[in-house]
Amino acid sequence: MNTLARVGTSICTNPETRALHVTASCCKNRAARIRVGKGDRPLTYEQALHPHHIGHRKGWLSQHTSNLMGENGAADRTVEDVFVRRFIFGTFHNCLANEIVIKRRGNMLVVCALMLQRLPPQKFYFLIGYTETLLSHFYKCPVKMEVQTLGDKAVYKYL
Amino acid sequence: MAVPMILGRNIHSFARIVLGASQSGSIGLNTCRNRGIYTTLRPFRLTLSACLHTGTVVSSQPSSTVTVTEEPDTLYQKVSVLVKGHDKAVLDSYEFFATLTAKELGVTLGKVFEPPKNIERLTLLKSVHIFNKHRVQYEMRTHYRCIELCHVTGSTAQVYLEYIQRNLPEGVAMEVTKTAMERIPEHILKPMWKDLPTDPPTEEKPNQ
Repeated sequence: MNTLARVGTSICTNPETRALHVTASCCKNRAARIRVGKGDRPLTYEQALHPHHIGHRKGWLSQHTSNLMGENGAADRTVEDVFVRRFIFGTFHNCLANEIVIKRRGNMLVVCALMLQRLPPQKFYFLIGYTETLLSHFYKCPVKMEVQTLGDKAVYKYL
Repeated sequence: MAVPMILGRNIHSFARIVLGASQSGSIGLNTCRNRGIYTTLRPFRLTLSACLHTGTVVSSQPSSTVTVTEEPDTLYQKVSVLVKGHDKAVLDSYEFFATLTAKELGVTLGKVFEPPKNIERLTLLKSVHIFNKHRVQYEMRTHYRCIELCHVTGSTAQVYLEYIQRNLPEGVAMEVTKTAMERIPEHILKPMWKDLPTDPPTEEKPNQ
């Protein structure tokens, strides 16, 4: 330790030497993070905050009880969630403003989504009814959608 | 003479039409609310505010749901409701809701306390292959809240718990522990030796 300290000080004090800073690329966390860019990429609040802010500055996108202490069924709920997200992403093509929120109240599955006003309302109504009936037949439980529409995506930051 | 008769008929028909509009309009408004879509209301619903309200025309007898049984109601010494969740703020508001309902319904509250939180931590490898020195840590926090009700009857407990459970927020789990009180069975009430006939102590000679 003493030798290392002596080496460090000699590099720092000598103005003609330069030290190389190296980090293995897997040291950095890349999960759910959008890297800083030129400043022209708009981000929503959900995308801008990193996953360690969940519970502090962010909420939960899927709310169910299976991750609590002493509760079962976490894997099943996760698989259902993933399927529902992909299904809705595909059904409402290019119309989602933000990630959908999935809530489970008792037997019911409630899907809350923010949509952009890209389609006429009749088409929206049809697609909502279609997803509700199809998902409720698939998962054998009542599925409800709560949809709000926006004009444009709500931008929080530009990165 | 003729004028009030005509007026009477007009008012009656107007009331019927208005009542029909209000019934269909209210049903329509309910469905609109359930959809949650911000669409503009169609013009005929806006005229509801100006209509008459004749309450006596449609009267329905409320069906009595009170059942009378012969057997006595179970008595609970303590009903303990433990709520678990990931978000402390949600549990705070739920505790406020539960205590408010208990106060309104006249249920005696015992302790309302917060057992310490439980954090389950996982330390996993960050990379798919090698790089054992770089790991990632996840944690799952479970917050608890306990509400105790003292000295409730079975039917009160059932009603309270059903109301509480219908309004349980998503992502919150509940465990209910009931401590029932029962009458001591009669054969244990008195000690056995009191009922035995009091015999004088007989001297038994050892048989040899």
